[in-house]
Amino acid sequence: MTAISDRQKLAYVNAQAADGRVNLEFETEEGMTLNMGPQHPATHGTLRIVAKLDGEQVIHCEPVMGYMHRGYEKLLEVRTYPQVNTLVNRIDWLGSFTNEVPFILASEKLMGVEAPPRAQWIRTILFELGRIANISLFLGDTALHMGGMTAAFYAFRDREFVLNQIEAVTGGRFHPNFDRIGGLKDDFPKGWIADTKAVMARLRDFCDEIEDLVVGNEIFQARTRGIGIIPGDIAQSYGLSGANLRASGVDWDLRRDVPVGLAWDQCDWTVWTHPDGDSFSRYWVRLQEVREATKIVDQLCDGLPSGPIMAKVPRIIKVPEGEAWVATENPLGEMGYYVVSKGDLGPFRVKIRTASFNNISVIPWVTRGVYVPDVISILASLYFILGDIDR
Amino acid sequence: MSDAPAPETDERRDRLVEVLRSELGDRVVDSLVKPGDDVWVRVATDAWQETGRVLRDALRCNFFDFLSAIDWLPSPFGKSEDSPLDQRPALSTDIVTGYAGGETRFQVFARVTSLPERVSITVKADVPLEDLAVDTWSAIYSGANWHEREIHEMYGIGFRGHPYLAHIYLPGDFEGHPLRKDFPLLARHVKPWPGIVDVEPMPDEGDDAEAEGDAAAEGAE
Amino acid sequence: MGLVESGKMPKPLTNLLNISRRYSIWIFQWGLACCAIEMGAALGSPRYDVMRLGVIPLPASPRQADLVCISGTVTDKMVPAIRRLYDQMPDPKYVISMGSCANCGGPYWDSYSVTKGVDQIIPVDVYVPGCPPRPEALLEGIVLLQERIRHEDMAERWKGDPIVVT
Repeated sequence: MTAISDRQKLAYVNAQAADGRVNLEFETEEGMTLNMGPQHPATHGTLRIVAKLDGEQVIHCEPVMGYMHRGYEKLLEVRTYPQVNTLVNRIDWLGSFTNEVPFILASEKLMGVEAPPRAQWIRTILFELGRIANISLFLGDTALHMGGMTAAFYAFRDREFVLNQIEAVTGGRFHPNFDRIGGLKDDFPKGWIADTKAVMARLRDFCDEIEDLVVGNEIFQARTRGIGIIPGDIAQSYGLSGANLRASGVDWDLRRDVPVGLAWDQCDWTVWTHPDGDSFSRYWVRLQEVREATKIVDQLCDGLPSGPIMAKVPRIIKVPEGEAWVATENPLGEMGYYVVSKGDLGPFRVKIRTASFNNISVIPWVTRGVYVPDVISILASLYFILGDIDR
Repeated sequence: MSDAPAPETDERRDRLVEVLRSELGDRVVDSLVKPGDDVWVRVATDAWQETGRVLRDALRCNFFDFLSAIDWLPSPFGKSEDSPLDQRPALSTDIVTGYAGGETRFQVFARVTSLPERVSITVKADVPLEDLAVDTWSAIYSGANWHEREIHEMYGIGFRGHPYLAHIYLPGDFEGHPLRKDFPLLARHVKPWPGIVDVEPMPDEGDDAEAEGDAAAEGAE
Repeated sequence: MGLVESGKMPKPLTNLLNISRRYSIWIFQWGLACCAIEMGAALGSPRYDVMRLGVIPLPASPRQADLVCISGTVTDKMVPAIRRLYDQMPDPKYVISMGSCANCGGPYWDSYSVTKGVDQIIPVDVYVPGCPPRPEALLEGIVLLQERIRHEDMAERWKGDPIVVT
């Protein structure tokens, strides 16, 4: 064992490569302050990271948010319930439909309305398609941050097929605004199910391809294995959710553990966990999640019940007084809405619990003492979306 | 949401309330259990931090969902002012609080989950206006740190013992606390919501269509 | 470029320069929100492939870029950074405002923290509407900008005044 391990050497090379992209600022004492962002390729948008360095090691790393803060919780107080739906689409913009579902479910809970089974199944299918569209981009994007361009192109290529399917149903590639209180806007178009199954088969091939290309890659493993380890109890205390929590060995999936009426309990799928809690395991768990999602979509397409897609709801939606909380397992993790209604056309107060906000709050803890290029690997594997952090 | 009728009692959630009552005594002010659905508990302001500790240690609610606050004052600018259906009722200033009651305008509430029990609980506490602060949870649940910063920024509620209560979202020179009900959204005051009349009359449809449009616009005012 | 600044560019030379500039745009991507993903699809994905239009994505810094695509919600906290970015770019520089948020505030028209249109801080050449616009829409915006560059009077542009294209 030499003084510098191979991994450290590799980290050094990568740091040199990353140097061209980061903006260096020197401070007088206690080492150096490294500023990344607010617009930086490694931060998925507009997160800003201010890191205090000692040589190549991070002493303290503080994320600065708010560059995407749009004031959701205030805006929702002056919207009516159908208008809220349009707006919340844009919180996690990669898996838009998944943002609508918990809000609609919370409103339905307050109104005492239940959507018919077919609507619930279609919701679940679109939810999982949103998950695939979201996480498949992560699979390519993370590889991009580790220096592998190809996977990102593959991800963009195969993601288009999923977006096409979403568009065929909802009319929107990104922001479907398809969910309604009491059901859905529309049914599936003709021939959609057969197409979707073909796309799902293709996405499974994509997962295999990614597994070959990225997961087995030596450089990728060197940059992610043993980096950014988050133990399970720390993860819970910070409120990490989704694949980040499962990668820390905590077997918790809201789809299975807290049923909200959607059709996940109707099909056979697995919740994958990983005991390591490092960047690699987070990537691996998400890869499995896409695989499981394709399986869920396939099974639900097979067993889709017939019937109406809309329950009887009044034309003008007024939600009775009360408070309700519904959370679902979104692609990024647990997303929930705490809706407080005063019997008006619009909600009185909506607390939006987004996954990424909690997920990245662990960054100051997990980046203590790591090397600069590992910050990139940790950020990429924690996987956040800026709209989901700042709201 | 299942087909089975809601059960009359809920042992898991009743136990949560019981344990909280036995640990905190009469500092548990109020509670509400909706069997098979959810549970709300309101504690005294000075017991806020201890509640967090009891939840984490005695009840093993290790998973931190969120911590937030609410301003129960009805908005002085009207609730659905842009709807043609509302006649803009006389705006009340009465504070009507939600589940598990409350006596003050501001409340903080938090939600934590016990993963092994698969049960969540929402705890609330009043925040008196004269001393707008509660004790911090950030030493109990690490994730509360950023949530408290957010609440401090949005409502101006302080958190005693918080390590770093700085701006989190807004630029440093931002004035006001946006989520307070008396914070106006100036854009709405400058320019009324353009969607009040959702169908504009056709240009050649004559006076009838115009009158209809006017009536709808008047109804909104 | 004394010739350009003097305003006495021979017409054939202008044509030649404009054609070359039109097909060698380096586009700097300022991805902010949802539109950034569609921009990524337009610039990075094999299906849309912006390079066939003679546009080169991913320059290392704004100092090497001719065109910046502001895609997404511009917040008040972000404004200084965008202004600084624009100041760093060398002339002649062009701006595409992509999506409703960057055009006018979009769905956040009444928000307390969103800038209602990026044109309040930097001049915009092409607005691409949509929420978010499809990648094809962005490509059309780029084609429109290329048309504008093709018929541009460089001397006018160098003066820094806004240009009008017929």
